[in-house]
Amino acid sequence: MLVEAGHFALALALGLSLIQFVVPLWGARANDPVLMTVAPASALAVFACIAFSFLALTSAYLNSDFSVLNVVQNSHSAKPLVYKISGVWGNHEGSMLLWVLILALFGGVVALARNSIPMRLQANTLAVQAAVTIAFLLFILTTSNPFTRVVPAPLEGQDLNPLLQDPGLAIHPPLLYIGYVGFSISFAFACAALIDGRIDAVWARIVRPWTLGAWAFLTLGIAMGSYWAYYELGWGGWWFWDPVENASLMPWLAGTALMHSTVVMEKRDALKVWTILLAILTFSLSLLGTFLVRSGVLTSVHSFAVDPERGTFILGILILFIGGSLSLFAWRAPMLRQGGLFAPVSREGALVLNNLFLATACATVFIGTLYPLALEVLTGEKISVGAPFFNFTFLPLIVPLLLLLPLGQTLAWKRGNFLGTAQRLYAVFGLSLLVTVALFAFAYGGPVAAPLGVGLGVYLVLGSLNELVTRSWSKGTPLAVAWRKAKGLPRSTWGTAIAHAGVGLSVIGIAATAWGVEGLGSLKPGERLKAGDYEVRLERVIPRIEANYREDVAVLTVFDSGREIGTLETMKRLYVTRGMPTTEAGILTTGLGQVYASLGEMQADGSIGVRLYYKPLVLLIWIGALVMAAGGALSLTDRRLRIGAPARTKAAPPAAVPAE
Amino acid sequence: MTRKQRRLTLIGVAGCVLAIALGLVLYAMNDTIVFFNSPADIQAKNVQPGTRIRLGGLVKDGSVQRGADQRITFEVMDAEAVIKVNYTGLLPDLFREGQGVVAEGVLESPTVFRADSVLAKHDENYMPREVADTLKKQGHWQGEANAAPKTQ
Amino acid sequence: MVIWIILLAMTAAAVMAVLWPLSRHHAIERQADPDTQFYREQIAEIERDQARGVLLASEAEAAKAEAGRRLLRARGLQDDSVAAVGEPALRRRRAASTLALSLIPILALATYEIYGSPHLLSQPPGMQVQRQADRMELQQAVAQIEAHLAKNPQDGRGWEVIAPVYIRMGRIDDAVKAYEAAVRYQPPDADRFANYGEALVLAKDGLISAEAQAAFEQAVRLDRNAAKARFYLARAAVQDGQIDKAKAAYEELLALAPADAPWVGAVRQELAALGATQPEQAEGTAPQIGPEAIAGMVAGLANRLETQGGSAEEWARLIRSYAVLGQRDKATDAARRARAALAQDATALKTIDAMTQELKLTDAQP
Repeated sequence: MLVEAGHFALALALGLSLIQFVVPLWGARANDPVLMTVAPASALAVFACIAFSFLALTSAYLNSDFSVLNVVQNSHSAKPLVYKISGVWGNHEGSMLLWVLILALFGGVVALARNSIPMRLQANTLAVQAAVTIAFLLFILTTSNPFTRVVPAPLEGQDLNPLLQDPGLAIHPPLLYIGYVGFSISFAFACAALIDGRIDAVWARIVRPWTLGAWAFLTLGIAMGSYWAYYELGWGGWWFWDPVENASLMPWLAGTALMHSTVVMEKRDALKVWTILLAILTFSLSLLGTFLVRSGVLTSVHSFAVDPERGTFILGILILFIGGSLSLFAWRAPMLRQGGLFAPVSREGALVLNNLFLATACATVFIGTLYPLALEVLTGEKISVGAPFFNFTFLPLIVPLLLLLPLGQTLAWKRGNFLGTAQRLYAVFGLSLLVTVALFAFAYGGPVAAPLGVGLGVYLVLGSLNELVTRSWSKGTPLAVAWRKAKGLPRSTWGTAIAHAGVGLSVIGIAATAWGVEGLGSLKPGERLKAGDYEVRLERVIPRIEANYREDVAVLTVFDSGREIGTLETMKRLYVTRGMPTTEAGILTTGLGQVYASLGEMQADGSIGVRLYYKPLVLLIWIGALVMAAGGALSLTDRRLRIGAPARTKAAPPAAVPAE
Repeated sequence: MTRKQRRLTLIGVAGCVLAIALGLVLYAMNDTIVFFNSPADIQAKNVQPGTRIRLGGLVKDGSVQRGADQRITFEVMDAEAVIKVNYTGLLPDLFREGQGVVAEGVLESPTVFRADSVLAKHDENYMPREVADTLKKQGHWQGEANAAPKTQ
Repeated sequence: MVIWIILLAMTAAAVMAVLWPLSRHHAIERQADPDTQFYREQIAEIERDQARGVLLASEAEAAKAEAGRRLLRARGLQDDSVAAVGEPALRRRRAASTLALSLIPILALATYEIYGSPHLLSQPPGMQVQRQADRMELQQAVAQIEAHLAKNPQDGRGWEVIAPVYIRMGRIDDAVKAYEAAVRYQPPDADRFANYGEALVLAKDGLISAEAQAAFEQAVRLDRNAAKARFYLARAAVQDGQIDKAKAAYEELLALAPADAPWVGAVRQELAALGATQPEQAEGTAPQIGPEAIAGMVAGLANRLETQGGSAEEWARLIRSYAVLGQRDKATDAARRARAALAQDATALKTIDAMTQELKLTDAQP
């Protein structure tokens, strides 16, 4: 009964969304506040309906209600509780439902933020948001209905894809979706501004927290996905430039650019048209990502079902929204009041450069991801564009950006002084250079890229900290005073510095992978395998039977230069219901590095294939991402973001300018 | 600086970055892209030894031989040709005889291929897309028709 | 019935959510212009923040000044006045209300009518719970027996208990293994062999393999009246193309049958399919897919393979289909054509050979 009520709620949400689309637009046009207030009310009602629907599906999973086709195909009564819940979105239909749930959630939050958004903007924004909701609700109801029933109900379900039975994957999609869908709000705000033909710094101030929040979640989602690939696929890699990964990286790059351009718009009332365009492009890339992943154009663990009908439908949505919003842009953007130009050497100049590099880097990823698909459609030729392409095109664009980052962060608004800025960074230059040279000497003969990359990362971290120090401390200031001053700095300044330091940490982690070592061998119990200074000894291989799988566990003792430092377990699993084997990597963390082992096949002579890696500082890659997201979150708590205080106070002249 | 100069600076910098990016992309397109070939393609297109390619097809039944230190040889076939593959490393979980596989590496001679990575991805029903397409073209694989579940 | 009331209540609530703001027009009319309202509230909020000590006085002043400037600008932009009062506004509100009142229920009910399954709601809610409880018990029982068998793999009784459960759960291959073990570790018994054979037949999608036939023959040797085994043996004869033998076997089976045996209908049907003159049609047996339909599908496959060619697997499927239908000559013929069509492909030929061997199509051997 609950299932049917949930299904009906979804149908109701469709009707409500239509009202949410039509009435507020009309109200804004007729300048009728009564009609405009329908927007928040219906947005909340849509959220309530979709949330109810989602809960109904979740309850079907929890109760193993096998009269629901979706539950049959993706659950099993013996599955652990956590995976019964995560199974809700571990499949195509459920994940699309999660998608609209988050869409509606954001709509609901915009509806509640009555005091911080002017009414007309809110009405138009919610109307655009409703249009997106309608499209996706239609998609779910007609082609991907999670509430389809089976009669008679089978006794048992077919279980969830074992690769998805993992805590990392339980939270990866929600995080990623909050990011993806969060950009729909920036998109809706941009379209609303275009519809209204009016845009100013207030707009930027209102949009910025949403972009910031979506960006922080997307950062977490991507990091989570990358860590999952690292330990679950058993290949030791953390980023494969797989189209599915690129699909999430592109909106991230565009979103990062958007986050920075809104700052310029807010502070200097410039870059308006570009910011609007970026907001549209960012969400378009999110939609493109959804299309690539959900249509089955790419076959991977993410494309739960290959179904041409669905692919066509999403392609339709994609064309409708990207085409529609870009046409709206082409039509209305020339009417927007242009902002002023500004000096090249200034904070805003640096932010423009940041946007330029990020947008170009995003474009190269776009080309590399879509070129093979386009080529195949046009000529039938199949090619693979892999890591070499992206390393060759992406890195040369990102490295200059990173080199300029601390400089840009230190430059003043309006008219910066390049030499003066560089002077403030002398210590940072010196220290990072020292680190690089020391690393060269220390790891002589190793890969050249590693010390350079680590040096770059150190430079970024120090540059960010330098910003905080120079703003609160100068020669002769007592430390207590400096600390008070530092605490008095706006939270967005702290957030910026922390997020940029996070970038530095990730860069260090990525560069250090070049120092990684690996070994490969067939081991019998008692035999050893070496990777650099690290060595493992195979103790025993034991079979184990769990609720929904059985596995062979290899127990390895790990030695660092001959000294025992611990044990790790790596397994080869067989999920009984699907008859599917998986490999679980064994990981032993030592400091920030990890010893990583994965199993191959059992050989006829009783030995077992083992691949062993040592990856120094690898954890920094994800710690950096966490720090970035934390920086974003801290900026988000800055009160002034909400009330929009410009706060040019006399106490700390350049300091109180929130900067990104 | 006048307004005009500022505008020119902006356009100039943007132009430079875009030109560099375009150059990088074009260069990389020539140099880093790997073509996908089935064994029959290798013969038909006369792919030169030393070329880096992705090889896809079915693992021939009974062809997998395991040597010392995880050295493995197997044969990849399609309806028309067979290529011998040498590989050192761990095979993926879903690597099986008679199943689809994609190997990336270098063609050593017209019939021998040295793989540095072997993919048999993610799902037990999964046939690497390129392989499935090729086989479909050759009328060798019927996808869902054969994979229909047994019913009581 | 209850569900419809709930669905109607949900619809009513959804419509109310939209009508409510439309009915609050008096409250909204009293408010000032919506655009400037925002800045006024913002200034009020800044003052509250300052009072709470969240903002410094200087910051608050600057913020207020900024908001004030924006307020002025918003007023300046506002050329046309707000239109919440008067006749047109009333008409707009009425139109919006009508829209909400009609669109939401109609769209929701229509969509649900198309995609929903309201007929499933007539099931008493208790049944679901009961089924679930049964399933849980079954699950636990299976797990217990499996654990027990893992420790005592030679317990034939255990295997025999679990095998039919596997069949019910659709785990046919497991069922075959279980019966195999049961037959191995238990004393010979006609029913057991017949069940083993039946599992083998299920695993082969209805084809009676040599293994299955051996099992059925064993069963008949143990008990001449083993009806299930004799039934399958007759069917095997059909598949081997020995129609007369099959007819005789079915008729013998009917003669042996107690009048109330539940399988009599099935046997009559088989006989009818073989074209034997059968006075009365069995009652109460619902025809599933008629033989004509199956023959049509097979003919379609044959036609497609003839004209467009196909894979070894498809040819093998065609051969097997003919064999299952008892048309051995056609099966032999299909095997010959398959060989001709797939001559270039050694593995494909192997597949065909394996199939002909399995079906004992001796004339079709190369």
